[in-house]
Amino acid sequence: MAEEINDFDEDTQKGKFLTFGIDREVYGIEIRAVTEIVSLQEITEIPEVPDYIKGIINLRGRIIPVMDIRLRFKKAFRVYNERTCVIIVEVRDLAIGLIVDEVAEVIFIDDHHIVSKPEMKSVQNNYIKNIGKVDEKIKLILDCEKLIHAEDEELLKNI
Amino acid sequence: MKVDAADYGGSLMKEMKRVLIVDDAAFVRMAIRTILEKNGYEVVGEANDGNVAVSKYMEHKPDFMTLDITMPNMDGIETLKAIRKLDPSAVVIMVSALGQERYIKDAILNGAKYFLVKPFKEENVIETLRKIVGA
Amino acid sequence: MEPMLEMFIFETNQNLEQLEQITIHSEKNETFSSDEINDIFRIMHTIKGSSAMMLVNEVATLAHSIEDIFFYMREKKPDNVECSALTDIILESADFIKEEISKLESGSEANASASTLIEMTKTFLKELKSSNGDESQEKIPKELKKKQQYYIGAEKMATVTDNLNVFHAVIQYQEDCEMENIRAYTVLNSLEDAVKEIHYLPEAILEDDDTVGEIRNSGFKMWFTTTKSYEEIDKILQNTIFLKKLELKQLASLEECGYWPVKKEIVKEVILEEVPIKPILAPKKVESPEAAHQTMISVNVTKLDVLMDLVGELVIAEAMVTQNPELAGLELNSFHKAARQLKKISNELQDGVMSIRMVPLSGTFQKMNRIVRDMSKKLDKQVELVLIGEDTEVDKNVIEHISDPLMHLLRNSIDHGIEVPDERIEAGKNPIGKVTLEAKNAGNEVIINIVDDGKGLNKEKLLQRARENNLIHKNEADLTDKEIYSFIFAPGFSTKEKVTEFSGRGVGMDVVMKNINAVGGNVIVNSEAGKGSIITLKIPLTLAIIAGMTVKVGKASYTIPIVSIRESFRPIEQNIIIDPDGCEMIMVRGECYPIIRLHKIYNIATDVTKFTEGIIIMVETGKNKVGIFADHLVGQQQIVVKPVPVYIKNISNITGITGCTLLGDGSISLILDAVGLASRI
Repeated sequence: MAEEINDFDEDTQKGKFLTFGIDREVYGIEIRAVTEIVSLQEITEIPEVPDYIKGIINLRGRIIPVMDIRLRFKKAFRVYNERTCVIIVEVRDLAIGLIVDEVAEVIFIDDHHIVSKPEMKSVQNNYIKNIGKVDEKIKLILDCEKLIHAEDEELLKNI
Repeated sequence: MKVDAADYGGSLMKEMKRVLIVDDAAFVRMAIRTILEKNGYEVVGEANDGNVAVSKYMEHKPDFMTLDITMPNMDGIETLKAIRKLDPSAVVIMVSALGQERYIKDAILNGAKYFLVKPFKEENVIETLRKIVGA
Repeated sequence: MEPMLEMFIFETNQNLEQLEQITIHSEKNETFSSDEINDIFRIMHTIKGSSAMMLVNEVATLAHSIEDIFFYMREKKPDNVECSALTDIILESADFIKEEISKLESGSEANASASTLIEMTKTFLKELKSSNGDESQEKIPKELKKKQQYYIGAEKMATVTDNLNVFHAVIQYQEDCEMENIRAYTVLNSLEDAVKEIHYLPEAILEDDDTVGEIRNSGFKMWFTTTKSYEEIDKILQNTIFLKKLELKQLASLEECGYWPVKKEIVKEVILEEVPIKPILAPKKVESPEAAHQTMISVNVTKLDVLMDLVGELVIAEAMVTQNPELAGLELNSFHKAARQLKKISNELQDGVMSIRMVPLSGTFQKMNRIVRDMSKKLDKQVELVLIGEDTEVDKNVIEHISDPLMHLLRNSIDHGIEVPDERIEAGKNPIGKVTLEAKNAGNEVIINIVDDGKGLNKEKLLQRARENNLIHKNEADLTDKEIYSFIFAPGFSTKEKVTEFSGRGVGMDVVMKNINAVGGNVIVNSEAGKGSIITLKIPLTLAIIAGMTVKVGKASYTIPIVSIRESFRPIEQNIIIDPDGCEMIMVRGECYPIIRLHKIYNIATDVTKFTEGIIIMVETGKNKVGIFADHLVGQQQIVVKPVPVYIKNISNITGITGCTLLGDGSISLILDAVGLASRI
């Protein structure tokens, strides 16, 4: 299964989010950053990377690293099954694949319903941009930019 | 290709369209080529050097040629002389820069029929060519 | 970009480079040879012409004024020429033109004024002329021939025969057509065969350039006799180029001619009385690139990149066909034969395309001459630049990345390294410092050395600066020289107290390192206090397609570049040695080498842990050899190198892995780097 998000106008893409769940939480990613969703395929392991980087995959000739979101947010690892998929996100020419349990749906969140996140110290909080409220349910909106380009933090860790 | 006799009369004049461009500056060659091709002339060859010009002339026997005055190795006047010797009917347009009157005189004396002055305006080039074609 | 503009920029830059080289060479010899004078004249002439066409007028005027200087030098061959001053003028002008051109390249307007430079040039020419005893103008002194009007008396008409027609023609030229006097001459030429006798005013059209004004004002007047009819003459004259107005009148007799000097000779003998100024230029120097021009064409680099990418994909596609898992175990002799042929051809294609992209370093190296010259002058140092191996070829992409670093390193050597002549003499050295730029091929890499015989790096100063910048993370006593020297690559690091125009800002060396790394290369510094420094750049020849040997470790595939492999074998028990520290070594022909267990360092699950059950691949690391232990060999093939995804590079520095590649079955193999692996033990 491979779905491709069509090339909409910038405007029509605004406010649209792809959501997926991990345990009890629902996360959202701006559709603009998502290039496609693919089913899980063979992952080639790469040594000496953080545990949440599972390795790299061959996406039609392009080599893309894949990250396990659960592990990234320090949650328990869950074995992959046939519903597991990879969301390919791309920000400023850098692409990574996010391994998620399953993708929920594409929803629209109005600007009014987006509020800023509470100040909290946690790994995952760094990557949350803000919070969307739809029907009393909270969606944690991921900051893809930070997720992908979080170089400084990691580099510092490695020195 | 079948040519109608009626066409022949008028188009015979238009047949004079094969040109050889000689100039040591690629830029100038390109400029001339652009103007020529835009106006329906066929550039059969280019040369950046007098010696090459002579051999290309003999190879392609163009209807006429543009020839720069200042070139290394074998300059314009020498090239002109050489080509006219090999083909006394060669139609040569000398290309010069302002201030090169003496060379133009030399060229005319050696058989160049026309001359263009750089920087050239397209209209001037085309007019010169039309006169040649009509000659 | 518009093709004309692109061509203009390309050609002008080429010409400017050539100009620089010639000029610096002349300055060294303290004289301008006639070849050099001719070449510079021609270059300025060309730049003048093309920039005028592109309407970059300041450049055109500047080029014209320099052309004037060299025209003078060519014609008059003056003895007193201030070479150094002239060189300065030329180089400054070249810089100005370069600036303007790069403005055009980036889409802005070239609107700087060259008036100061032009003034300088004109002054120089004036002084040059006066110091060589020549006060005259460029123009050949002309004797104004007074127009003599002869009024022909009736009795002199005897010369006219009955069959001849008499005509009077006046030609007016269009404004702007220039050189009306010459054009008038061409008219005479075109009438040559048609007329019997012809007279014209103004007379001295070839000898006297002032006649241009006369023709502009009152037209070119002709009186002639001919057997041709009015129509025929009209046709010939109407063919005049840039004709504005033609007045053609048939006269009844010669009497009506306003001007018919009887005594004059027929126009056919044209007197060319001037000193024949030969436009012939001396034959060019042998090394000039001009001769090579005819067998070369210039190609847009993007086209080459596209070609390169396609070839890369062809290689992968070829592998995916010939190594398709669906073919495993099938008897396909004819297929395999055809496949081998396919492989052969795609290999040759690949070689061909790669060689197109290879460009010799000479262009980059030659630019260094100018830097050395400028810096030595400004810093009052004497430096000799020696270039070795400029024919060494490197991928075009790579050249772009190393050009700036090279220049920076060179500047550093001269600024920091080479001492002023007095200091050098004191130290017992030759007052002229020597900087050597050397390039050579070493297997899959290009090695470029920048060697200077200056004062070398000061370890103490470096350590101190490193301390200040908090760069030292281990015991100072444990730091090797190499590590100390490599501090200079830290961002913002500089031991210079003053920031000079050339260096000292500390933004240079780390950028150098970055640029070299960006093409997969490395920078190594070595130095000896008082003696000098050597900076070595190691750059892979090409990143794109290499021959690799693929091995398996558990489920993972790794590929080792063939160039690094010396041999591979299954070891026997006797040759395995464990040294007192527990390091595993392999003995090969009497020598011992360390073994790297791939499965251990990369934590891969595999059943093959006994040496005798797997294979050892001996690889070269430049300094020594190392044995890599893997499960088994898969095979050798051409692989397309793809970089490790940037994201991963950003978060983790995996030593020993320099890239990845796609194998025929679609799986990914990581490419090993011998040097990186060796550094782990």
